[in-house]
Amino acid sequence: MLGFLFRRLGDIVPTFFGVTLLVFFLIRLIPGDPILMMAGERGVDAVRYAQLKAQYGFDQPVIVQYFHYLLGVFQGDLGKSFVTKKPVLEEFMTLFPATVELGVIAILFAIVVGLPLGVIAAVRRGGIFDYTTMTISLAGYSMPIFWWATMLIMFFSVSLGWTPVSGRLSVLYYIEPTTGFMLIDTLLSDQKGAFVDALRHLILPSIALGTIPMAVIARMTRSSMLEVLREDYIRVARAKGLSPAKVVVVHALRNALIPVVTVIGLQVSVLVAGAILTETIFSWPGIGKWIVEAVSRRDYPTIQGGILLIAIMIMMVNLFVDLTYSVINPRIRHTR
Amino acid sequence: MALLEVKNLTVEFGSEKNPFRAVDSVSYSVERGEVLGIVGESGSGKSVSSLALMGLIDYPGRVTADSLTFDGEDLLRMSARKRRNITGKDIAMIFQDPMSSLNPCYTVETQIMEALKVHEGGNKKQRRERTLDLLNQVGIPDPKSRMKAYPHQLSGGMSQRIVIAMAIACNPRLLVADEPTTALDVTIQAQIIDLLLKLQADSDMALILITHDLALVSEAADRIQVMYAGQLFESGPADGLFAAPRHPYTQALLEALPERSAGHDRLRTIPGVVPGAHDRPTGCLLSPRCRYATDKCVSTQPLVTDYYGRDVRCFYPLDDNGQPTGRNV
Repeated sequence: MLGFLFRRLGDIVPTFFGVTLLVFFLIRLIPGDPILMMAGERGVDAVRYAQLKAQYGFDQPVIVQYFHYLLGVFQGDLGKSFVTKKPVLEEFMTLFPATVELGVIAILFAIVVGLPLGVIAAVRRGGIFDYTTMTISLAGYSMPIFWWATMLIMFFSVSLGWTPVSGRLSVLYYIEPTTGFMLIDTLLSDQKGAFVDALRHLILPSIALGTIPMAVIARMTRSSMLEVLREDYIRVARAKGLSPAKVVVVHALRNALIPVVTVIGLQVSVLVAGAILTETIFSWPGIGKWIVEAVSRRDYPTIQGGILLIAIMIMMVNLFVDLTYSVINPRIRHTR
Repeated sequence: MALLEVKNLTVEFGSEKNPFRAVDSVSYSVERGEVLGIVGESGSGKSVSSLALMGLIDYPGRVTADSLTFDGEDLLRMSARKRRNITGKDIAMIFQDPMSSLNPCYTVETQIMEALKVHEGGNKKQRRERTLDLLNQVGIPDPKSRMKAYPHQLSGGMSQRIVIAMAIACNPRLLVADEPTTALDVTIQAQIIDLLLKLQADSDMALILITHDLALVSEAADRIQVMYAGQLFESGPADGLFAAPRHPYTQALLEALPERSAGHDRLRTIPGVVPGAHDRPTGCLLSPRCRYATDKCVSTQPLVTDYYGRDVRCFYPLDDNGQPTGRNV
């Protein structure tokens, strides 16, 4: 088990370098000079321009810049934002909890809804329920987030007025961040109604963000369940006289979960991509929105640092998923 | 009263209008402590009829019977819950492939204890002790450590022993063994059969042994039932059934045994295959493959009749010399 962990951690090293390399050079391919961007409308004279260029190290060859950057990364220094002049890591840490909170609730929604839908659809395959859920999940999978999010806002927030339109918390409340997770912070604070308010703000964004993973999970669970339900050991379990519910949950689902867990792990990267759109639409102060803004301002350190940190997070989640995998599936546990 | 009474058991698949009868009006009974051997080619409905007995035929399959009585109670006319209380406790089944019969996610111990938990209750300690007993009983060496093993760590023979332990956990009165040795290699086959017969004799449990192995049933079974294309073709006491088959199909099956072809150039076979869903002949289902078939066989289906103490489905049952009788009548 420990050997397995180290081997997987070893796999992360080349991926890590790959990400730094890719992001560093790709953002430099985007047209637009960060110094001119910083200078804004008024522009900058040639002397000052050269001075700034030297200050940020842009006068050196790109390869040299890259090694300087890498050197910083290994010392835990991701650089400072061109715009806010604050360390990238610090900014990331302030915004990250908002994205995690949204992502966790979204994936919870996806699992809590998608898994049972898939299971029931498989058990009643060929029935009305099966066709309905599979059609809905296909629609959910194909729906562009920006459109779906807008529709949700128009219907539930604007027409029905059930949920807030955007943000994390109403202006009525002010919560000093302690953990950065609004749900926890509001619970810790003694302001009445703040928790419910935070929860209400979370509903629509997490549905918008969780719809695609939900559809994927439902479909994957269904097909995986169908395969498992045909297995001999399911017949054996039934021949033992177990109730149908026990056969499905204890014997079928556990086996069917193995591919589903992998898919859930893969959905985390989908979530991050979706978070960029969702956060922008719902004005959610998370890293998705932050990176989009950084790109439009050519804020190189922010983009590089942000994407590197996201990549590390995704690698960690996948590692965690692999570890979960071996907990569910004894065959994996023993072959290591 | 017999332990199990099956009257006109029929299992149909496919559309209501044009169903495929995988099992066609089969009637038999099993006495307490009796070994019933069911033989027949692949596709003859042996497995399906036993699955129907266990209540394991799913929609769209349809099971009907005039009666399916176990110990005086009709299995088809009781609540699903009540039937589950009998399934796995009083009637247990073991399947063809032991390697896929065990759930890969759970230990041997968990899977055996599960059957005990459903039907016997008791606390965990009692169940664990009983599991240990069972593993000893089915001849697992070092049962204590094997209890913690996962199925992928066991060999085929070992798995089948575990499956048997699971099936006999609640002291069933009827055990259905569906080709329990087909997936095992020859040296293990005999061991498993010996084990089953020993368990059967020790506990006075009835055993339905479904197999292709004619030599095995002639030795092990008290009564033998020959099935073909979902129908019962011949049944009777094991003594003499193979010595003097009354049905041409039984005779042909026996002639197809390799040892009976000694001195011939080629092995004897029965030409053709068992009819499936779409190629059912009219009249007797065997007629296209039967060497004695007449026009009557092709046009009319024979019924099961009593012929000197055997149930035979043939217009011209064979006499002691293996010749068809009554063909000129």
